[in-house]
Amino acid sequence: MTINSEPVVRVDHVSRWFGSVVAVSDVSFDIKPGITGLLGPNGAGKTTLLRMITGLADVSDGTVTVLDQPIRNNSALFGRIGVMSEHETVYGFMKGREFVKIMGRLRGVSDLDAAADRAIELVDLVEASHRPMGTYSRGMRQRMRLAATLVHDPDILILDEPLNGADPLQRVQFQDLMRRFAADGRTIVLSSHILEEVEQVADTVLLIVNGKLAASGGFRAIRAALDKRPYHVRVMSDSPRELAAAVVTLDSVEAVNIDPDGAIVVLSNNVRALQIELPLRAEAASIRLFGVEPMDDSLESVFGYLVDG
Amino acid sequence: MSSVYLLTLSQLSGRWRLLVMSVLALMPIVLTESLVLVPSGASVDEFELIVLNTMLAGSITPLVVLAIATVAFGNEVEDRTLANLTLAPIPRWQIVVPKLLATVSVAAPFIAISALATSHVAFNADATATIAVTVSTLVGLALYSSAFVWLGLATTQAVGVGLLYIVLWEGFFTTYISGVRLFSIRAYSIALMHGLDERRFADTENLGFGVTVAVSVVVFFGFLLLTIRKLRNMDVP
Repeated sequence: MTINSEPVVRVDHVSRWFGSVVAVSDVSFDIKPGITGLLGPNGAGKTTLLRMITGLADVSDGTVTVLDQPIRNNSALFGRIGVMSEHETVYGFMKGREFVKIMGRLRGVSDLDAAADRAIELVDLVEASHRPMGTYSRGMRQRMRLAATLVHDPDILILDEPLNGADPLQRVQFQDLMRRFAADGRTIVLSSHILEEVEQVADTVLLIVNGKLAASGGFRAIRAALDKRPYHVRVMSDSPRELAAAVVTLDSVEAVNIDPDGAIVVLSNNVRALQIELPLRAEAASIRLFGVEPMDDSLESVFGYLVDG
Repeated sequence: MSSVYLLTLSQLSGRWRLLVMSVLALMPIVLTESLVLVPSGASVDEFELIVLNTMLAGSITPLVVLAIATVAFGNEVEDRTLANLTLAPIPRWQIVVPKLLATVSVAAPFIAISALATSHVAFNADATATIAVTVSTLVGLALYSSAFVWLGLATTQAVGVGLLYIVLWEGFFTTYISGVRLFSIRAYSIALMHGLDERRFADTENLGFGVTVAVSVVVFFGFLLLTIRKLRNMDVP
């Protein structure tokens, strides 16, 4: 590994709002060589953040620098960056190989044929490369777009939901490819709303929730941070008052309220512990539980991931 | 620049679009042939007003250009392929200029043939008049191209806004309010035609030749700069 410790991408107190909607709020982090996963539920602000990192969108506040230079309108930097957006930005009338070559030509690649061959081989689409991209499956279009992203051999790869449409074998091949690139000392940022995708490949994770950086670091640190985050959890049972009395003494519980509809709302500082202790207390008090659900919608999917994980 | 130019040419050369442009370009020729065949015919003034001014400079040219120019960026914004270009290590003007050139390249043959054939038939193959009509129409095409390429980037409703502009501004206001002709591409085109063949198209109502040339340059490069500026400042989808 030839990874150094200098940040390649620096996001400093960046915010972005659209009218009254705040998409990204005061986010700061550094990205170093290796694989960094940008994780968060759909609508969390990952794509907006990546668009600001690539200079496609402007920041409302703060600064984004790549290789110590402002990225916005700094076209010279794009010779070193490969970007794959989440959208299928292909020209349907164009053959796959033509697409890769024209992307290479736009990025100043000198030996276009050799570069296109190499990139197409990396994504294992040699046979299909002479067909119009309009005839490709979604997964094939994604792979050919990845080839076009790699054609100029960039130092920095920024990939937004790169595994959309990929089958399990393609996912494994993609992860192997990313690990090889990371081992070469490149910087790779990939976003996903699927925990496992990021977990299997990323060295560092940035968890974005509601436009804010909820946690960052290694995967274990992320899980720990999420577990310690206070959650409102709504619990339905046949004896709410007795259940409230039973759980209020738990260390993982900070407060309990009883809703008019008979459910109790538990404010927990350790949702993982609550998951284990709540059924035990209910069973001990002969209380039947009908349902347990996190009330913070924006965290619901992340919560679900953690529970499933 | 050649990659963006060739890519844009491919995007603009849709079969239906070319067919519609062919039909539009044929219309002034057909109308002129009809006027020539009618025994009473039309005077030069009537021909200029109906065919050259209202039809060729005021309707056909802007409509053909609108169909092409708004697509140059509009389609890329809509299908989000514009990022393929803006994420390349090339300055913005090297995206805008080839797109504008491609727009002119696709639209110009249709309009040039239309203007050439129309004036050739109407003026009995008079070379000066034919050149005056063709050149002034092509200048108008270049100005409309610059304006509509910008429009295609500035709004997702470019075709609707462009049609309103053609009908209301170029068609209505500049016909009835002489003061606004300083801001009309149609008026520039007609004034250039007058200036290039004063013998045939003498008319004191139009802008002077020198003023028209100067204003045309300002309009062309003004919209070009606006497009580059817009591409620099916008959030690319």
